[in-house]
Amino acid sequence: MTCNFTEKISSLIDGELATAEAREVERHLIGCNECQEVRADFLNLRSQLSGFETSLAPAVQSRALKKILSTPRRTPARGFAWGFGTRFGTQAAAFATLVIVAAIIGFLIYKSSNTPSNEKHIAVQQTPTPVPTATVEQKQPEPEASPNKGNEQTAPRRPPSPAPKKPLVREPKPGEQFAAIPATPEPFRSADAQTMTALHFEKSETLLVAFRNVRLNEPGSATEVTYERQRAKQLVIQNMMLRRQADAAGDVQISSLLESLEPILIDISNLPDKPDKDAVRVIRQRVERKNIVPLLRVNSTALARALD
Amino acid sequence: MASEDEEFTMLFQDFYPSLCRFLECLLGGRAPLAQDLAQESFLQLHRTAWGTMPVDEARFWLYRVARNMAINEFRKSHTRYRLFDRVVETMRPRARNPEQEYESQERQTLVLEMLQTLPEDQRTALLLREQEQLSYREIGQVLNVSESKVKVDIFRARASLRERWTRISHVNHVNPV
Repeated sequence: MTCNFTEKISSLIDGELATAEAREVERHLIGCNECQEVRADFLNLRSQLSGFETSLAPAVQSRALKKILSTPRRTPARGFAWGFGTRFGTQAAAFATLVIVAAIIGFLIYKSSNTPSNEKHIAVQQTPTPVPTATVEQKQPEPEASPNKGNEQTAPRRPPSPAPKKPLVREPKPGEQFAAIPATPEPFRSADAQTMTALHFEKSETLLVAFRNVRLNEPGSATEVTYERQRAKQLVIQNMMLRRQADAAGDVQISSLLESLEPILIDISNLPDKPDKDAVRVIRQRVERKNIVPLLRVNSTALARALD
Repeated sequence: MASEDEEFTMLFQDFYPSLCRFLECLLGGRAPLAQDLAQESFLQLHRTAWGTMPVDEARFWLYRVARNMAINEFRKSHTRYRLFDRVVETMRPRARNPEQEYESQERQTLVLEMLQTLPEDQRTALLLREQEQLSYREIGQVLNVSESKVKVDIFRARASLRERWTRISHVNHVNPV
């Protein structure tokens, strides 16, 4: 990898570049073959890793959960009693309240007895030293101990009442791989366009899988591919339309995938009814080389999730 | 207590499979060991830390603990498994004309093997990004490193895997990634 942009490609597909930088890298991508290959390879690597399936039996999972839940816990439940114990909890709370009330009264008396010239002095004295993360702690003081000392200051605190369960896994957003930082607007595409794209990806995936399974047993020619041919013809038109929409919306990831898919669909639609065995094989190899089926699957799932 | 258990169960159902997958990839495909370590991580969370942190934080905590366990396990049994892996590699049948289905499985095994050639921190960062879809900031939290290190590690991991894959593809005539 000789191009200076290759490292940025990695950040680009992770959506970790600022908008301006992301646009710059995308512009560079258009004219740099090496970076295009790098991006394709990185994305393919992603689909390989994210598509990895673990061999986990449901019985193993439920057995593990039962075992964990049946094990006694060392720490009491969260709440005010933490660190005090139930016996001394009430006394401690009463004492703490008393101290706070006394401090407030003392402060008010002290403030009212001071001259205006002294107030300035007090104000200077009482100004807290600016600590970068102090605001978070001041806003939500909870007497909880976290084993993760490095992160406790910045981590958002959950309210004590059981909040509605939020999705813990960050769902992949459409176009995330080329999206900017979260604060910036993403390429806008209507829900209809996204639904159509997701359906198109599913249909194309089904077609390519069907095409992959066409038998090549006969000596000269493959089995009829009339169905696949007709289906590909329909999908080519839709593909062109969706690609233009994605281009217009600036959704580079979807546009790029549709662009890779289009020549394959055209090739399938241009096959004769009973094509030569080698012609089928060549297209299959291209599909396999571009690793397009998993990419379609990953993207259609991501779009569907986003729509949910 | 009951609601805490329910909450814990939800967390477990959501993340136990992902944690198993993460550990399996980290350990080079040793599924039973990965499942044991995932269970042990959840057990530790339930016994000692559950209730002392927000759920989001618990997730990072789990990955951090699981990763440390995997490193310990790897150190303990590295030699034994290296030998075992070599035996498996030697004994594994090689198809001369593999079907595409089989090729795909072969490719997955290859990815798993290549992951083992990466330094542990690069491998972990890449897996957390690609499988768990954590941001660089979140990965930094799990691994207790800076975002810039995460960024560099992920890039190096990708570049290294890409290079190896290309080289292996040339030697074995496997389709490139």
